[in-house]
Amino acid sequence: MKMQLMFPAMILTALATAAPLAQAGDLTVSITNVRADKGTLLVSVTNTEAGWNNQEKPVAATKVAATGKDAVVHFTLPAGSYAVQVMHDENDNGKMDTNFMGIPSEGYGFSNNPQVMRKAHFSEAKFDIGDAASSITITLR
Amino acid sequence: MKRREMLTLLGGALVSGALRAARAQTPQPSQTPAFDGLAARDPWLAGWKTFGRESVGPTSATLEGRWPGSLSGTLYRNGPGWFDRAGFRYQHWFDGDGLMQGWRIGGGGVTHTARMIGTYKFLQEQRSGKFELPAAGTLIENPRTIRNNDDVNTANTAVVRLGKRVFALWEGGSAIEIDPQSLQTRGPVTWREDLVAAPFSAHPLLERDGSAWNFGSLAFFRGSGLIIWRIEADGRLGKFQVLDTPEPGYVHAFAMTPRHLVFMLMPFNLSKVDGAFFQRMQFQPNKPCRVALVPKDELDAPRWFECDFATAYHFGDAFERGDEVIMRVVRHRDVEEARSPMASAMRGERGSNTLGTDLASLHLNLKSGAARWQAHGIEGVEFPTFDERTPGDQAARLFAPCNVGKADAPYFNGVASIDAEHGRVRQWRYGARILAEEHRFVPKPGSSRPGEGWLIGTLLDYEHGRSGVTLLDAEHVDDGPIATAWVPYTTPLGFHGWFAAS
Repeated sequence: MKMQLMFPAMILTALATAAPLAQAGDLTVSITNVRADKGTLLVSVTNTEAGWNNQEKPVAATKVAATGKDAVVHFTLPAGSYAVQVMHDENDNGKMDTNFMGIPSEGYGFSNNPQVMRKAHFSEAKFDIGDAASSITITLR
Repeated sequence: MKRREMLTLLGGALVSGALRAARAQTPQPSQTPAFDGLAARDPWLAGWKTFGRESVGPTSATLEGRWPGSLSGTLYRNGPGWFDRAGFRYQHWFDGDGLMQGWRIGGGGVTHTARMIGTYKFLQEQRSGKFELPAAGTLIENPRTIRNNDDVNTANTAVVRLGKRVFALWEGGSAIEIDPQSLQTRGPVTWREDLVAAPFSAHPLLERDGSAWNFGSLAFFRGSGLIIWRIEADGRLGKFQVLDTPEPGYVHAFAMTPRHLVFMLMPFNLSKVDGAFFQRMQFQPNKPCRVALVPKDELDAPRWFECDFATAYHFGDAFERGDEVIMRVVRHRDVEEARSPMASAMRGERGSNTLGTDLASLHLNLKSGAARWQAHGIEGVEFPTFDERTPGDQAARLFAPCNVGKADAPYFNGVASIDAEHGRVRQWRYGARILAEEHRFVPKPGSSRPGEGWLIGTLLDYEHGRSGVTLLDAEHVDDGPIATAWVPYTTPLGFHGWFAAS
């Protein structure tokens, strides 16, 4: 009985398979409010509703060790619309831990930081980037 | 429980309204930066004033009377203690962050310590200097998003000692463990990995072997249903059961007999308007309350009753006699007052009067399946306690703060010993300018006769700017205190306490 708030398996798969893209601009993702100084931050980028909903692979994904309250990751992406989700896998078990009601016990966040008490919709997390470098900040909850 | 619905809504009703409301930019009528000024004019408002420090004490109290040498232990008290930040004041009494207090008695002296509970919410807001997380009864503008319900856990309602561990309790999230000596916060408790942040309510009931029953309401998560917990005397999770309920019902506490747990669910709706949980909550007086009688040995086999609507936060004893299970209930007459008790005091106003309550018994007939109320004609009481040694087929004597004679503040100024079956009440009046809180029953060492013990309760003497702890003989309440101890400052009124003998 799990709430499908995040898609950790998808993220992990994407880490191995996400392909480099042509015509790139730099996207810097700053991650703040990392509550625990342990585990791994899993970050995935999608550019379609289907990708956001786990029906396609993310266009990019990465991971970084959680070693402080903040972290920064970079992606190289063509101009377009994207949405980013972050999961803090505090115990490195490769999944988003939840209780029996599906309520998360590990950190997570979405681009645009929408104030919703569920997984954000793609439309709520979507943002545009051009060919120039851009940056976003995701505050983990 | 409508699990599917609940799962899709995550943290649910407790906070979702506040999040929606943040976008609505609703005006904030609760900004009362002048509360301290009002409290200077009306000193009884000290009971609802922000504590304003992270801790105080241990402070040696000034003793009056003769404290019995055989009484040794700590009266823990918990309640909301922080209501204002950056000129913004909560509207609802239940919003204040938890303040844990310890009155340590023994060795010929009494000391007092008070410490704000270091919840995630309190620590974050202490750092930022403003309220930025959703509250249960007040809309917070542009709140931070939260991970789960424990992010808004104020741990402000009650305290219990299970085994050697002390826990601060709320009703929508985890128990928060407290160091029994220093009162420093150890953090949320997870009884089992898959139960992290599951609601563990504020009124566990103990068996004689030290094990505890408790519940958690899933109605806060916009579903319905109850979790039933049993924690063994060694702190292990013994039993865990999810009980489906016919519809959402508010339930704050429960009662038990030797054989049964009894839960009374008050029907409510959440209005569509933006607001915090208690702002949106609307009791449904046109509907009956549902009452679950749950056998302790068959938690999945409740028997359901329906009774005429009533609102109640607290219950006294329950017992079984003949074909009936009888439970004592403190009913609130005014559903609006029940939705936000002492709202006037929170605004710095006198309001109409003390809590409008009466004591009643709810009779559940096991043969006919009918439920009926019996009023006792005893009004203006709350926070009932009793001697848990009372046999399971007998009514216990109840002890409760009450109003006696003239009072200059709209709150309790006395304590009552109530024999509801015979309509006999004994009272003690502390005075016109003293606020009286819950009194816990403490068995006298070596005693076995039910009722043979002391009452230990707390007072706020606003005329002299002091808080205190007082002791009475439970069998002679009308003789007044045996002993009292005062500290030269006041602390906000709390809700519930727990006496832990040492």
